[in-house]
Amino acid sequence: MKKIIYKITVFALVIGGFTSCDSELDQIPFDELATSQAYITVADFDNAARGIYSTLTAGSLYGGSDAGGMLDAPDILADNVTFAQKGRGTRRTLHNWQYSASSEPMSGLYQNAYTMIFRANTLLEQSANFEGDNKDQVVAEAKALRALGHMNVASFFAKIPTQSADANSSLGVAYVTTADFSIEPARVSVGETYNMIVQDLKDALEGIPDAADAGRLNKDGVNILLSRAYLYMGQWQNAIDAANDVTKPVAPLNKVVGVWEDVSKDGVVFWIDVDPPGLDITPGVTWSQFGVNTLVPEYVVSYPFYQLFADDDIRKDAYTFQGRNGAFKFNAIKKLFAREGGANPGRVDIKILRAAEAKLNIAEAEYNLGHEEAARIALDAVRSKRYVTPPSGETGVALRDAIRLERRLEFAFESQRFFDLKRWGLPVERGGFGDLQDGSGTPSDAQNLAADANQFQLPIAQTALDLNPNLAQNPGY
Amino acid sequence: MRTKFSGILTLILALVVQLTFAQQKTITGTVTDDTGLPLPGANVIIKGTSSGTQTDFDGNYTVSANVGQTLAFSYVGFSVKEVKVGAQNSINVTLQPDAAALEEVVVTGYSTRNQTVQTSAVVSISASELSQMAPTTSIDNMLQGKAAGVQVTSANGKPGQGAFVRIRGTGSLVAGASSPLYIVDGAPIREQDLANIPNEDIENITILKDAPTTARYGSRGANGVVVITTKNGNRNKDAVIRYSSRYGTTSRINPNFTMMNAEQKLQYEAEMYALGVSGAGSLPGVTTTPGSPERADLLSRQTNWADLILKEGVIQNNNVSISGGAEKVDYYFSVSHDKNTGIIDKINGFERLGTRLNVNFDAKEWLTMGINVGYSRSTSDEPRDRNNSQNPFRPIYTVNEYETEYLYDEEGNILLDDNGDPTYNPTHDGFPIRGALETERSTDIDNVTLASVDALVKFSKNWSYGFTTSINHALTRRESYSKPGGILDIILNNAPVGNKFDDQQDRLDLTISNRLNYVLSSNNHNLNVLGLYEYNLNEFYRTFVRSTGFPSPLLSTQTSAADLNDGFTNRSRLTLVSYGVFADYDYKEKYLVSASVRRDGSSNFGKDYLFGTFYSGSIGWNIAKEDFFSVDAVNDLKIRAAYGSVGNRNGIDRYAPQATNSYGFYPGGSSSVPANIANPNLKWETTTTANVGLEFNLFNKRLRGVTDYFVRNTTDLLFNIPTAYESGTGSVAGNLGEIQNKGLEISLQGDIIRSNDFTWTLGANIIFLDAKVVALPDGEDFTPTDNTFNIRFSEGRKINEHYLVRYAGVDPATGKSLFLGADGNTYFAEDLPEGDNRVFQGKSTIADKEGGFFTNLNYKGFGLRADFVFKAGNWINNFVRSNAESDGQAVVDNQAVTAFNYWQQPGDTNVMPSPIYAAVDQSINSDRFLEKGDYIRMRNVTLSYSFPSKFLDKTPLQSLRLYAQGQNLLTFTKFWGDPEVGISSGETIAFADSVAPGEATLYSYPNVKSFQFGLDVSF
Repeated sequence: MKKIIYKITVFALVIGGFTSCDSELDQIPFDELATSQAYITVADFDNAARGIYSTLTAGSLYGGSDAGGMLDAPDILADNVTFAQKGRGTRRTLHNWQYSASSEPMSGLYQNAYTMIFRANTLLEQSANFEGDNKDQVVAEAKALRALGHMNVASFFAKIPTQSADANSSLGVAYVTTADFSIEPARVSVGETYNMIVQDLKDALEGIPDAADAGRLNKDGVNILLSRAYLYMGQWQNAIDAANDVTKPVAPLNKVVGVWEDVSKDGVVFWIDVDPPGLDITPGVTWSQFGVNTLVPEYVVSYPFYQLFADDDIRKDAYTFQGRNGAFKFNAIKKLFAREGGANPGRVDIKILRAAEAKLNIAEAEYNLGHEEAARIALDAVRSKRYVTPPSGETGVALRDAIRLERRLEFAFESQRFFDLKRWGLPVERGGFGDLQDGSGTPSDAQNLAADANQFQLPIAQTALDLNPNLAQNPGY
Repeated sequence: MRTKFSGILTLILALVVQLTFAQQKTITGTVTDDTGLPLPGANVIIKGTSSGTQTDFDGNYTVSANVGQTLAFSYVGFSVKEVKVGAQNSINVTLQPDAAALEEVVVTGYSTRNQTVQTSAVVSISASELSQMAPTTSIDNMLQGKAAGVQVTSANGKPGQGAFVRIRGTGSLVAGASSPLYIVDGAPIREQDLANIPNEDIENITILKDAPTTARYGSRGANGVVVITTKNGNRNKDAVIRYSSRYGTTSRINPNFTMMNAEQKLQYEAEMYALGVSGAGSLPGVTTTPGSPERADLLSRQTNWADLILKEGVIQNNNVSISGGAEKVDYYFSVSHDKNTGIIDKINGFERLGTRLNVNFDAKEWLTMGINVGYSRSTSDEPRDRNNSQNPFRPIYTVNEYETEYLYDEEGNILLDDNGDPTYNPTHDGFPIRGALETERSTDIDNVTLASVDALVKFSKNWSYGFTTSINHALTRRESYSKPGGILDIILNNAPVGNKFDDQQDRLDLTISNRLNYVLSSNNHNLNVLGLYEYNLNEFYRTFVRSTGFPSPLLSTQTSAADLNDGFTNRSRLTLVSYGVFADYDYKEKYLVSASVRRDGSSNFGKDYLFGTFYSGSIGWNIAKEDFFSVDAVNDLKIRAAYGSVGNRNGIDRYAPQATNSYGFYPGGSSSVPANIANPNLKWETTTTANVGLEFNLFNKRLRGVTDYFVRNTTDLLFNIPTAYESGTGSVAGNLGEIQNKGLEISLQGDIIRSNDFTWTLGANIIFLDAKVVALPDGEDFTPTDNTFNIRFSEGRKINEHYLVRYAGVDPATGKSLFLGADGNTYFAEDLPEGDNRVFQGKSTIADKEGGFFTNLNYKGFGLRADFVFKAGNWINNFVRSNAESDGQAVVDNQAVTAFNYWQQPGDTNVMPSPIYAAVDQSINSDRFLEKGDYIRMRNVTLSYSFPSKFLDKTPLQSLRLYAQGQNLLTFTKFWGDPEVGISSGETIAFADSVAPGEATLYSYPNVKSFQFGLDVSF
């Protein structure tokens, strides 16, 4: 009898200890926060806004990438750089325009841009019931970044309105304004795409502050983007008006080198500080690795382009340097190379928007309106701060070419060139020179791309097409 | 008649003995089985004492006993026979097989069941069989070719690395969810932690293949269950001390292709340059002329990079175990040490120290308690496994033989650095791998404790209650150190700063199990009912710290570092609550019925879908036990049928049903981004299996066989479903569709020769597998973008089909590559029709025939055994080959000799494309290097000798076996390279993330061959 009591006691104790297990099935994450708790306070929305910005640091956007991103692809696709044999052979398919849907060129940018757009849309939807005092700002930022994301995608994958007569009615991009994982949107026309970009940027202007914290857009930044959108659309006066609202002055001559060594932020409207322990990224690997004398460049300055930098042009020092690797000497790209003193090669702040663009947009738009004098003034506003003895006084086609040249020089290796050639309807002509300092060495495999070539619009990645049956491919792929 | 006679004889003897004084005498004799074969190692015990002996190899024994005492003869699988000692000096005994005991006892889900009454497809591998298998550091590798339907592919050749194990096909389309569930003494263990269990401690591995048994592990048994039981001692037996030791060497399996030597490569470069391959312009084949002094210098320093980077590795294993028991206690104790240096020079491989104690004791008449505790510590040097020159297995193929290990000055002397050390040549890859192997070290250290304590309370003859707590605690640490002043440091920082991370992961898996058991055994009826209530907690904790600024390469802990770069912790939990009832019944062992139902709740499903219910039912009929069945040739014949369902919860995030935001940093403060997209409807993936099987033993059990046909349907597949890129959300966990695996398994074994001195056994098994995708959402094709290269799923197609443009050879007129468009016509690359030209061709990464066969010869004490494995019907995308036959595109890298065979003039056939067009040709993602993965490999060959007891009797030894063994010595394949492909590149697609193992080759650690000598001794 006693034995039975023992046994039952043991049994009861053990069973009793574990009857409340079902409640153990309610588990919530330790490392993440329920979305329902993440959009409540002013600080929450500030965090969420920074979350959208943080997408910009992805390699294929502005973080520097081996596969092509905003920092490099607009030059690698164009005529400013030459493939370096000493490098690791990255982005060769892009540089040679040999891409196809299955090689998925710039797919990272495509995906990351839409990730940023999703994050922006999430904030916009979550802010519907939010009345905190930073609401106007975060909403404005979300819209501006949504516009920037779509514009980046459109610049690569669609025509630019001024590119050709049929551009506006051709395939633009899917313009996404909802945060919904299940959408499979179709591409709207180029015209509609740019109208929506402009609308988002105009909305953004309403709430964006004149001055903002580091790493965040201010009114100048949004105006530069708006001016660029109008310029791409051929709406010259609108482009001028937006650019005229940019208040930040162009960096003076004696600060230009410092801007690219991160000792000055003159003329820089929107940038991201990459210092660790926060971001700890090295955007500079996109162009080269290692030291001045042990340089492994992926791409070097195109020899004919290098010749276009006048000796008294401060940008020759600020944007290029003489690098070597053993017996090989290069005209190397200095933008993103290193900070002052050469420490931590490649780890430099990411510069996304600069005041000089506003002036050059004005110059181009004024010229297109036939206002040569106004165009010259805007052009000289940049040139006077770049040359010891600035050229001046061009007229007619010479003035147009001077504006184009200045844009090419000022934004060399900086997210513009391919789009400029594209919207001007110009071919890419690389000139056939090699990758070494004196133009010898091996030229890039491919040299020319006709102005009407379908490769000006990159193919939508096959995976994107597979995942979204409503997505149309660009012609020619 | 004979029996009657011996009965009478015994009686007479007994009467005589009654009258005789106890009288010590020596008795000799032979113990044989029912077929007349001697039984070596049979026990001869004097009843009522602890003295006795064992028969020698020829079944002979000698024992001293008193007249009147009784000798008990016993042998595993045979009935005990007792003979009273009388006047005779010689007692020869024939033991009869014990029908029940001869059958294996099979561990099947919380209980054991006799194979005779088993109604499920189960394969059991005993310790003695394990000891004959190719010894490796990880158990899963040993299962290769051993059991029909168990497909095993070594992940790669890294010491301590496990294998991809697939039981009856691919049961899931998502990373990490197609592997079986591994249970060690009741606790689940991760597949990648299997290498922490010393092989010598394993008593039995049981593979549960279909529903009646897997359903008992309901929640997690969908892809089969591998139940591993560790050893226990025998009651009432003096301690047996066993020592085993192995030593051997290991090296890369010789490739079946040849890379160019320096002279060939220089010539190739010149040829490429002549054809206009721009990249060749700066290479020495162009910049130096044949016969020049520069060329002579290059050739004089020819370096074989495979010889330089690789070494002959050493394998070493030592194990001591002590086991035994008294009346109320049994114990097993072991210590083992394993070492496998691997084949990379300058780094160490895998080393493991393990120890275990298993004890069971009867605390009271009605209470038995047991504890099994094993601890192991393993360290493993981890080479980079990525597709660049930091991976030592890439430069073996890519660095040219004219490139040297060190740099030379103009006088031809090795260039010294500031410290007077030779300066490593970065080579054209820009990375001196030999130096990096010294300064860029990464080591994994695993401390694993497996513990299980249990108590069994017997309420009555019929009722009992069992309680078990099982713990699997793995503390793993990876330390990855770029030493200050090392190769990467100089490249990345241009200054000696050093960079180190410590990544510590703490995994606890705790199972508390309560079982109430009812057993009813009468003459004809046997019933066993088990009720289960179980709780499982899996907790993960991670600490990661990274710093730079190390003052000395000799200091590697974070405390010495100047700058903390990164540091974080992670934590997560997964819980499971289960209830189940399992019942087995048989009538006279003829008619067999089993049924089970189990209900599991798992914390990673949607609130309304936490619980899943899984059930099974099975029947069996032992025809040979029927009275009416009297075919002499048939010893056993059983047919069985089973149906049931099993669940799976792997492959999705632990918090997948919940919408979350994750936090990071952006200048100014925190950044918050939407992370997980909620799917509150997420539910269990369910696999339903139907199985019919036939088991037979024929011709005095000389021919043994099992065959099974199964259909496995998996529905509500768990999947991280990629969303449209435009949604910006990545993927969403969901239940995606249906797949089906069906197949036929055949396993046969026969004793070709079975005589006194000589036995020869042949055995083979095979699975014919058909794995296909049945349904996908909206019927749309589906591309798993992560963790595969070119795989696509499509309804009605095979699982894991390659999806590529078809390569159609070389145009003999121009030397350009030809491709087939989607329309089936032939095109040049630039002329391919717009749109998608990739097609399905029924070429999957999954073999449709796979198995193994063996031959085992024993003559007296000598044994010769060879095990083969084979695989057929799978296709591998050979990226390594595409780089070695690159048509000049990778002219900077060394090439295979076959690369010379390119198109040169109109009319050339059987050639590779002309390098002139390669840039454009290779922009097409084609199947040019998609190759059949068929192979037959001699996995193991062993020559052994067991000393007969007549020698050992004069020594304290009970047994002594010596052997020599070779692994992977022979491979038959048409594949270019090693056909056993698991991981492509471990840092591209990790072992645990693989969806389509064997899809491609990409420079992972190659498989190795080895020669080993070993010794097993017990006393």
